Amino acid sequence: MNEHVVDVGKRHIREINEEIQEACARGDRIRVVNTLSRHNLGIGLPDGAEVRFEGSVGYYCGGLNTGATLEIERNAGWALGEGMSKGTITVGGYSGMSCGAAMMGGTIHVRGDAGPRCGVAMKGGNIVVEGRIGYQSGFMAHAGKIIALGGAGDSCADALWEGEVWVAGDVGSPGVDVKVVEPTSEQVDEVNAILEPLGLSDGSRDWRKMVSGQRLWFFESRDAGAWLMI
Amino acid sequence: MCGIAGRILAGRGGFGAVGRDLVELMDAQEHRGADSTGFAVYGPPRNTGYVVRGMGFDRKDMDPAMDDLARSLRDHGSDFLAEPAIITDGQRHYCFRIEIGDPRDMTAWVADVDTLSDRIEVQSCGRSLEIIKDVGGARAVDEKHGVREMVGTHGLGHARLATESDVRPNASHPFWARPFPDVAIVHNGQITDYFKWRERLERRGYRFLTGNDSELIAVWISDRMRAGLTMDQALKLSINSIDGVFTYMIANAGGIGFAKDRFAMKPLVVIDRDGDLAMATEEQAVRRIFVGECDVINYDGPSLTGLWGAGDRDLAA
Repeated sequence: MNEHVVDVGKRHIREINEEIQEACARGDRIRVVNTLSRHNLGIGLPDGAEVRFEGSVGYYCGGLNTGATLEIERNAGWALGEGMSKGTITVGGYSGMSCGAAMMGGTIHVRGDAGPRCGVAMKGGNIVVEGRIGYQSGFMAHAGKIIALGGAGDSCADALWEGEVWVAGDVGSPGVDVKVVEPTSEQVDEVNAILEPLGLSDGSRDWRKMVSGQRLWFFESRDAGAWLMI
Repeated sequence: MCGIAGRILAGRGGFGAVGRDLVELMDAQEHRGADSTGFAVYGPPRNTGYVVRGMGFDRKDMDPAMDDLARSLRDHGSDFLAEPAIITDGQRHYCFRIEIGDPRDMTAWVADVDTLSDRIEVQSCGRSLEIIKDVGGARAVDEKHGVREMVGTHGLGHARLATESDVRPNASHPFWARPFPDVAIVHNGQITDYFKWRERLERRGYRFLTGNDSELIAVWISDRMRAGLTMDQALKLSINSIDGVFTYMIANAGGIGFAKDRFAMKPLVVIDRDGDLAMATEEQAVRRIFVGECDVINYDGPSLTGLWGAGDRDLAA
């Protein structure tokens, strides 16, 4: 497999992404250098592509991924992997606000912490964060799992649909309409099966599994006082 | 959307090319709002006298308006210390920079000069603060006003995407905390209850010259500090007092403080190398100042505040 090096610098983002797509089409393995935290790097990458970003990337990196494997050496900005349907994204450091926003499938693996609203409105797939997930993580997640190994911030798992937030470690505070349930051993096995290929499986974790209390699903405006925090 | 930035040069009491760095920080964020761009630069402080920056709205009225400005100063025991510098281009408005002696009472002079605000608007006043703002992107404003050449200890920058008021040069940021010398803010977000707060502050004698929601913040904080709060206390109080989404930075001669709303809606990214500081909305902007890979602090959480001193000053005091 050939390696193709893409130099980002100050070039126009469309030119950079076209170069990445062309290299993917040739079947090259891709190394993206001099990223300078630029936005929109590697959008809509195809199934089977392998792209490594050296340094840090800006907003929306790996968005609309359809099956590529992306690796980001350091930090990612807002909305990493937004709307992705398949594939794997690994972040070496911190992943900013709204990591995995509205993703439908695939896996995001963050080695550091994740910012606020991690997995906001996600509709499938898994987000694994080795550190702590930020404020209001899992906000309105429809489906999929957010798995945090280092705790969670305030308002955790706020207003969930059928998404699940699994936390090992401290939770700042639960969000509205959250139910903390005792997971069955089958459910824990299922989570460990997600963690296993990442080398993170550990049978001794004390999990807090958060799901929707399902009261907000039937929101009535006359009950607004019970929900509004403002 | 808007983009904001701040810069504090390391080296206790040292001056440097803070204008150049602020232009770079804002050029990197021009996509966040190219309606207008502004800068607040803290230059070498003077012991007496002030630098006044402002804008007149009609070039044809320039000479009589500047005469009226001079007259208002003389009424308050002050005057121009040198010929005013006027900056014009093809547009109807013009900008000016004047150095003045100390008015007997700053608040009284500002109240007086504000009676001219349909023709001429004082936009900053300070021993060291100068606010430069105009329509267009960072490079355009720099070319017109020579921001790159401005030397100082620290400063702020802003790129504006107009949401709450007109695209007018005087509705741009940074905003001066009228009439408090040397206080300026930049804000990313929207204040939703600004009408309410403005009315309260107006009843206490403060004046607001634009329809911009952000103009409120600097005055709000300064008013609380005048009432005895430290900047740190005032910043913390603002989070639950002012409604809306915001990340704002406020600067005075001592340094820069910031506050973020309860919902963590707007970002702030900082690189701090032993007091050599760059702050911005986006990481790619601070990377214009510190190019190599280095540790970046993401102030992503809700209800955060912070203070950074400039020079040998400590803002926490």
